Amino acid sequence: MSADSYLAPLAPELILLIGAGVVLLAGLMQSGRRGPWVSMLALLVVLLAFVTALRQSVPDGQAAVLGLWLTPLTFYTRCIALGIGALIVLINWYQPVTEERGEYMAMILLSLLGVLLTASANDLVVLFFAIELVSIPTYVLIALSQTDQRASEASVKYFFLGAMAAAVLAYGLSFLYGVAGTTTIHTVTEGVATSTLPSGPDIGGLALVGVLLVFGGLAFKVAAVPFHVYAPDVYEGAASPVTGMLGFVPKLAGFIALIKIFSACNWDLPVVVWWIIWIVAAATMTAGNVLALLQRNVKRMLAYSSIAHTGYMLIAILVGPVAGQGPMHDGVTALLFYIAIYGAMNLGAFALLTAFRSQGRPVETLEDIAGLAVRAPLATLAFAICVFSLMGFPPTAGFLGKVYIFSSAFSLDQPHPFHGPLIALAIIGVVNSAIAAAYYLRIVSAAYIGAEVDWPVRTGGIPVRLGLALCAIPMLIVFVWPAGLAGEAQSAAALVNRSIQPQSTQVTSLAGQEGREAIPTGFNAQDRPQSESHPPGDSTGSKTQH
Amino acid sequence: MSIETLRICGIIILLAPFCGAVIAGGLGPIMLRGRSHWPAILGVAGAFAAAVVVFTQLYGHGTEELSAQIPVYQWIIDGAGSAFKVEFLIDPLTSVMLLTVTGVSLLVVIYSRDYMREHGKPERGYERFFAFLALFVFAMCALVLGGNFLLLYLGWEAVGLCSYLLIGFYYSRPAAAAAAKKAFLVNRVGDFGFGLGILLIYLSFGTLEYAAVFDMVQSGVLASGDPLTNGRVTTIALLLLCGACGKSAQLPLHVWLPDAMEGPSPVSALIHAATMVTAGVFMVARCGAIFTASSTAMAAVAAIGATTALFAATIALVQTDMKRILAYSTISQLGYMFLGVGVYAADSAIFHLFTHAFFKALLFLGAGSVMHAMGGIIDVRQFGGLRKLLPWTFVTFVVGSLALAGFPMLSGFFSKDEIIHHALVAHPLLGIIGLVTALLTAFYTFRMVFLAFFGDERVPEGVHPHESGGWMLFPLCVLSVGAIFAGYLGVEATGRGFHHFLTPVFETTFVAMNPAHAGSHEVAHPGFWEHYGLMILSGGLAIIGILVAYIIYVKRPWLSGLAKASAPDAYQTLWNKYYVDEFYDEALVEPARKTGRFCVGLDDYLIDGLIWLVTAVPRGIALVLRTMHNGAMQSYALSMTAGITIIVLLVFWS
Repeated sequence: MSADSYLAPLAPELILLIGAGVVLLAGLMQSGRRGPWVSMLALLVVLLAFVTALRQSVPDGQAAVLGLWLTPLTFYTRCIALGIGALIVLINWYQPVTEERGEYMAMILLSLLGVLLTASANDLVVLFFAIELVSIPTYVLIALSQTDQRASEASVKYFFLGAMAAAVLAYGLSFLYGVAGTTTIHTVTEGVATSTLPSGPDIGGLALVGVLLVFGGLAFKVAAVPFHVYAPDVYEGAASPVTGMLGFVPKLAGFIALIKIFSACNWDLPVVVWWIIWIVAAATMTAGNVLALLQRNVKRMLAYSSIAHTGYMLIAILVGPVAGQGPMHDGVTALLFYIAIYGAMNLGAFALLTAFRSQGRPVETLEDIAGLAVRAPLATLAFAICVFSLMGFPPTAGFLGKVYIFSSAFSLDQPHPFHGPLIALAIIGVVNSAIAAAYYLRIVSAAYIGAEVDWPVRTGGIPVRLGLALCAIPMLIVFVWPAGLAGEAQSAAALVNRSIQPQSTQVTSLAGQEGREAIPTGFNAQDRPQSESHPPGDSTGSKTQH
Repeated sequence: MSIETLRICGIIILLAPFCGAVIAGGLGPIMLRGRSHWPAILGVAGAFAAAVVVFTQLYGHGTEELSAQIPVYQWIIDGAGSAFKVEFLIDPLTSVMLLTVTGVSLLVVIYSRDYMREHGKPERGYERFFAFLALFVFAMCALVLGGNFLLLYLGWEAVGLCSYLLIGFYYSRPAAAAAAKKAFLVNRVGDFGFGLGILLIYLSFGTLEYAAVFDMVQSGVLASGDPLTNGRVTTIALLLLCGACGKSAQLPLHVWLPDAMEGPSPVSALIHAATMVTAGVFMVARCGAIFTASSTAMAAVAAIGATTALFAATIALVQTDMKRILAYSTISQLGYMFLGVGVYAADSAIFHLFTHAFFKALLFLGAGSVMHAMGGIIDVRQFGGLRKLLPWTFVTFVVGSLALAGFPMLSGFFSKDEIIHHALVAHPLLGIIGLVTALLTAFYTFRMVFLAFFGDERVPEGVHPHESGGWMLFPLCVLSVGAIFAGYLGVEATGRGFHHFLTPVFETTFVAMNPAHAGSHEVAHPGFWEHYGLMILSGGLAIIGILVAYIIYVKRPWLSGLAKASAPDAYQTLWNKYYVDEFYDEALVEPARKTGRFCVGLDDYLIDGLIWLVTAVPRGIALVLRTMHNGAMQSYALSMTAGITIIVLLVFWS
């Protein structure tokens, strides 16, 4: 196999990597002049990577190189990460106000690169590095985003806590390696599968410790209770456009990694583990929403709201893949659908906070945005669409996202031990959505009927407003025509199903169909077919023919 | 007919007004401003053109299959293979409704161009008005075109929303805000039942598609294979009827419509007379398979219709606000339509809906023209003798009034007569109620005409009346032509008329199930006296009503005072609309308010206390952690470590 055939499928990643270097250098060259052309360059890089990713054929799950495995999940994640990545660049257009724009934009690109690698990682070590590649640039971004002390403090806090989470994650991954004797995720599947026993100090128990620690480490990335504690402080400390990114990029990487790790376990863990995730999910959405209710600072409110959304998405993780089902009955599809919508709507909300200044600082509180609709009707309308979408109110995509997530909770059949608890969790989720409506509506009503205290000053130029519009418009389009995104999410999730069921034929088999039908619906180890096979390709690709 | 053409037309009918709304609303405040009516006019005109194409595709195809279920795309995909689709059902019923809706809308939008101006300058919210109006047309067309109950429901709620927004258009006026709220809340009651009905349909039949549901109803099997019981189909029909009563302002949910007149007059003409309020009639006709499967439901429809017709007509006798008189008249006419559907004469009901759209829109626009000239005053006690001052308005208004009154050979005469005829055949009592109402209708309509346009010339102080401009008179003239001639479409001499076009839709439902001609598809041809006798009778009643009104209000004005004085109690009861509003206030609104206040108290003391308690726990923990650790970050790290430890321990101790 030539280097070409290894590298060609990785073109989007390579474009981002090279682009980050170019942007970094360009930033150094432009010292003195502070034109927006570094941002333009970064946008071009992301768009180029996006177009490249779109133009590549959807991987069939055959190519496995360099510890990476390209699947439809990779394709989907690439597209939403780069698509929303472009919006992130737009909204960060005028950031930072100091001269480090080259570094700043390069960090955004590297963070996106981390997400892309997470999506294709097929090796525990690659997965770990990819996840850290998502996080490390964000520490820099927070510090660069504002010059005040809050940003530095947030950055340091996030760095130390993130380092701890990374340690927990690495520790958990080392357990998995210890149990399986390999770092290739598919081989881990077999190692874990043959050793998973309900409890006890045996090898299965060790695998379980591994999975739990990995869950803990990733729970930090997605900001789930009790690993969410950092989120409000950090989100508030960073500048709004960075916060918009922080609410999405690490979360996407975290959830993709969770899908991979649970796939490695065949979604087949002792019930007590699922109960723990159940409790975490319920606690996350409730804590996020209740705490957001008490806020008057819109940014902090949205920070708590992003915690609550993690809780909703954990419901879908609990449901897991359900064989051959559509988005209404498959947890993974629902999750992938939701997270794309969430990324845009969350970013849109923060984009408005970027676009205006009041009393010499970016708008942050309810008082700051009061009466904004009079001053900026279109921007406020776009913002309101995003907030209504966060609320899950028709006619916005957020409504359908919630419909998919909550209805997926009903998809496990009656005799299943988690049938009842999942329905209970969905009900908790719906109640939480109602609670959330209270503070979301408070934001919208402040913008529309609040009496303005001080005219906010428009700061964001056309790029920021364009970013805001491009966050809001898809919310309506996806509501009217969800089948496109849902179809992509469904095909991305299909191979998640297949990947937990390695093929019993040789490397080049295409046995997709029968693989999909034989998928266990999770939880019950007994009727899972044991197979002696390995996935197409392994970590080094050495077994593939040259 | 070509499916592809119909699909494209359907998409245009929806998208054109929608784009108009988006452009008017989006660009209006920035650059269009005083020209914001153009996107709305063009959008609605596009929809009207497409509706005409749909009609030509369907018309004149004899016995060919006239109903097309046209999928557009899948909306929400259900894993089990079924999906909620965006699809159209296009048949003659759809076509008639589309023509009515887009045609009247187009005229009303044109009319609004001048109406929404004061001294030539656009009113505040000019672009908002046109954006909402175009949005309404979109929603109404979605309601009519939709091929399943989901789209019906979406359209249903969307027109309700537009209605709410437009009633409250002058939101700074407390009366308008209150009226909007009232319309919204009363409709909630109806829509709740409607929503339940749709859910029950989904539970029973496993699909929301019209064709599939109606097939299952007619074959009498549920999705599960069990037989469909009469009780269930009656429940579904009555729940749907509940929604229809809310939307079409039938008893006992009629209270919102008179108040809805707080909105601008074009809105009253379009939404609260010609189109949206007829959605209930349309829905019952569309769901004929469900309603005709339950004789109880049909009887309920007919009874509600007849009662409402009489009830509202009596109230209209004594009101003095022109728009309110027209509002009660609308309720009364909608009652006729329900009566028509209820006695298995759905085609006649839709025919009446069609003619009514012309003359009632005409009357409301005429009233709007009067109001425009009188500086916003619409109470007939404050002006009179306007026929010289507003000649065009006067002529067109009289045409509309004659049509409404059922004056022989005008449109209202034909359609109303048909309904009364069918009612007399089915339930003589309901037919007689219809006849009495016809007499009352003629009387109150011309009472209004005589008070406003005859007698001594009186105008409110400080008002300089002027005839409206061309933008307003053009729609009035077009509608007058419709009000005079629309009725002749229903005269079946040519065999190519309205009923011939429409009846195939109801072939298997209202026609086949009609107990009057028990299963036979041939309508028994009535003899001369059965047919023309009734025509003469109802025409005579209309003329009597008009003459009585003429005598009382023009020749012998003191007679009206005498009537008031001789039966003060009856007069007061009618003046206060049978005290229904007061009754609802006492029985429902006040208790709800009290419950609300109680809940607020509960919230302030109990819930807030609980929240304080609940939040006190984490606050306490945080406090403890803060004092234990010298800085927040360490406490965060601690809580994370504690979390992971507890999780691992839980697994191994369980």
